[in-house]
Amino acid sequence: MASRKKIRRSTKQKRGGISTTHILIVAGVAVLVVGLLVVLNANRSQTTVTDLVYETGVTPDGEPYKGSPDAALQLVEYSDFLCGHCGNFADALDNLSPDYIETGKLQVVFRNYAFLAPESLQAAQAVECALDQGADKFWLYHDLLFANRGTGMGVYSKPRLKAYARDVGLDTQAFGECLDSGAKLAEIQADKAEGESQGVEATPTWFIDGQMVRGGRPESELRQILDGLLSQAP
Amino acid sequence: MSENARDTTLHIPHRIDWRLWLMRLLSLAGIGVSAYLTWTHLAHQSVACGQSQDCDIVQQSVYSEVAGIPVALLGLIAYAVLFVLTLLRGRVPDPWGDYVPLAIFGISLIGVLYSAYLTYLELFVIHAICRWCVSSAVIITAIFLLSLPDLRAEVDAA
Repeated sequence: MASRKKIRRSTKQKRGGISTTHILIVAGVAVLVVGLLVVLNANRSQTTVTDLVYETGVTPDGEPYKGSPDAALQLVEYSDFLCGHCGNFADALDNLSPDYIETGKLQVVFRNYAFLAPESLQAAQAVECALDQGADKFWLYHDLLFANRGTGMGVYSKPRLKAYARDVGLDTQAFGECLDSGAKLAEIQADKAEGESQGVEATPTWFIDGQMVRGGRPESELRQILDGLLSQAP
Repeated sequence: MSENARDTTLHIPHRIDWRLWLMRLLSLAGIGVSAYLTWTHLAHQSVACGQSQDCDIVQQSVYSEVAGIPVALLGLIAYAVLFVLTLLRGRVPDPWGDYVPLAIFGISLIGVLYSAYLTYLELFVIHAICRWCVSSAVIITAIFLLSLPDLRAEVDAA
């Protein structure tokens, strides 16, 4: 009891403690710090994809396509999302889109060939889950996955894949359940087996009018190949 | 001389003891929540969220990092500092002892304001609510409110 009195006395006798001014200064600094955090946070650029401007759909054997089914040329690509060349090839096709895909000259069909690492399998399952919600959603999701390639380890981890699903406007609940269930695994393995039966060994491998081409090609070379084939088309 | 020296180190009023203990417990709870969120973010693990995907969506959104540093890690650092400060309260000699409640007030105020911003993002930008993040917001708000009477006592005593 005596010591408590002593404590109170010492409290009353203190000099030079904190004042309202101190509190206002600290509150001001706190507001500045939070402001700085908000600015730094809001400045983070988000990799986004633009709206689709081409026709999309699903082939009779269930593979997603973009471009007209009546196009003069059909390109079937086998791809792995962890493969850098596949991403570059997808970029090249994107750049050619206004001249070939959107004009009805070329139809691009996508097939998974997930073989590089466990995350390849996860990304492949994720795009199949996106396809369940529509071919347009598939292509938006496909573009976002490739746009985020090379952004570090875990780029196709399940939490990231779910976040991308939200970014492209998928039903995240249905998507998450699909991804977690592993329901698409058999389909991915069947896609890979189908590719192997056609001679695919690595990615990207693509077929243009039934002719197999191994490895990606730069945009200029692709343009030459497409123009050459189109000039021969009836 | 020696008695005076002892007195000045013990200026913590008895009536705030329970608040101090509560702040320590809340800081530990905050450390637990933010450490878990930091680990899931850095290890790219799914966040336990019942049947909902919302926690993952928030945790992997672009807003989950500031200048490359996970927001959860900032929270972990803040809670750890708050825990240390609550341990130091009443044990640091004057004049520095006076500033401990001020530091607890300032750090928890930053936490409250930033949590408010993050909750706004969850509600109106990300459109997904992470229950772990909400629990952290509640913890830091409680610590902030609990810090106020101690601060008031310090000002009155000055």
